[in-house]
Amino acid sequence: MSKIEEVKAKVEAGKSKLVPGLVQEALDAGNNPQDILDAMVESMGVVGEKFSTGEIFVPEMLIAAKAMSKGVDVLKPHLAGDGASKLGTCIIGTVAGDLHDIGKNLVSLMIESAGFDMVDLGVDVPADTFVQAIKDNDNVKIVACSGLLTSTMPALKEAVATIKASGLTGFKVIVGGAPVTPEYAVEIGADGFAPDAGTAAVKAKELAV
Amino acid sequence: MLTGKENLKEVLTGGNPDRFVKQFEFMQMIMSVPSCRIKPEIGGEVVNEWGVTIRWPEGQLGSFPVHDADHILLKDITEWKEYVKAPNVVFPAADWEKAIADAKAVDHDNKYVTAFIAPGLFELTHYLMGMETALMSFYEEPEAMAELIDYLTEFELAYAKELVTHLHPEIIFHHDDWGSQISTFLSPAMFEEFFLPAYKKIYGFYKDNGVELIVHHSDSYAATLVPNMIEMGIDIWQGVMTTNDIPKMIKEYGEQITFMGGVHSGIIDHPDWTKEQVEEEFARACRENGKLYFIPGACQGMGVSSFPGVYEASDEAIDKMTKEMF
Repeated sequence: MSKIEEVKAKVEAGKSKLVPGLVQEALDAGNNPQDILDAMVESMGVVGEKFSTGEIFVPEMLIAAKAMSKGVDVLKPHLAGDGASKLGTCIIGTVAGDLHDIGKNLVSLMIESAGFDMVDLGVDVPADTFVQAIKDNDNVKIVACSGLLTSTMPALKEAVATIKASGLTGFKVIVGGAPVTPEYAVEIGADGFAPDAGTAAVKAKELAV
Repeated sequence: MLTGKENLKEVLTGGNPDRFVKQFEFMQMIMSVPSCRIKPEIGGEVVNEWGVTIRWPEGQLGSFPVHDADHILLKDITEWKEYVKAPNVVFPAADWEKAIADAKAVDHDNKYVTAFIAPGLFELTHYLMGMETALMSFYEEPEAMAELIDYLTEFELAYAKELVTHLHPEIIFHHDDWGSQISTFLSPAMFEEFFLPAYKKIYGFYKDNGVELIVHHSDSYAATLVPNMIEMGIDIWQGVMTTNDIPKMIKEYGEQITFMGGVHSGIIDHPDWTKEQVEEEFARACRENGKLYFIPGACQGMGVSSFPGVYEASDEAIDKMTKEMF
């Protein structure tokens, strides 16, 4: 098994203590840093898919994301330019009036693992704050709005409407959360919907191109 | 007409109930028990009995543990012994008098004397250290997690001893959310390893000490955990969501466990709720799931609704389905 294959396997298995050493070994063996990063992103794609199909659960996804993050720490000084993601920036937050962050955090981890730079606005985020974050950050490609409560669905609608009415362009808006359906996403004018964290990463990549 | 208890037993045993059980009607919660639990008022914040900061912001439906860097109690699971100190559960006999009187006053033909326990073991692990850290710790520090769960189990058993000694509850209504709407948090194998033995001890203790029924709340997907639920002694799984295939579970496991729920609170219990929507949902739930091994109800973990009138409208909707189906 090549060093890159080993990195891939250990990221997928969530071996966060082993991955940094293996990434270093892969670098020492002359592998291109971008190839190593791409391999880890590919691993996380597999992890996301397995999560979406119910083959693995939240802990397995979390430890894989942590393993990748440890690997990226080793890789960063060796990446070209400023290390900024080629996929762009993703702004994420839970909408106003909603304090649930577990789902939003999982989505954030998976989108980051897919290769985006993340700006996490946290929970209870007013619609205007999403707009300000789009203005304040470079190369924003995705804005992800989360809402868990039926009672905060109007806030999700308002967030999407405010972002769309801001006149800012160059990004897509995705929505998700337990009560959100694909039909509701279309109804409120979102560009995309994902039912879980794995699918959210796939959707973000698809829309950012 | 059967009494409330007789009717429930017919539902649980696959007999001949004469009506649907209406949500929480068979449980009389004795909330006057002495308890170490410290909860915030709406709009308030407390440091609870474990040292966890709990906040209930205005306008929210419930309280939340605060897990930012300044507030999190347990940052490293391997150091749990230093930070996790179980609260006292032994109270003077006089503190039990009100609860004992309330239990005596229960309509014993129709209602069971019920003790309410929350949060459960899984919830406590993530209250103490945050969800992500707790979930990763099952993999990264399994021995420490197992030790912590043992410690929390001993705490629950210590309070269980006090409850059965003073109150003699007939039902334990126990909360512990084990999943999201679409999945369990842990794999079934991991759940079985960490939580089945602990809950067998707790629920086994209650059953050995006069408790007739264990009602467990988890408003989530948890179909894959039903065999574990049965093994640990759960009689009624309350909060069962429609993301579980309830008719299939009734067919497969109904003789061993009853399912209570079938209506998502989020669908019926909101500021713009309508009687028609409530009736529609309960009609669907009752028709889909039938009369046996099923108790219609919203998935909320208590006999209340978040918005005034919804709980009562739900009872009326169930009465309507009794007229139609019995």
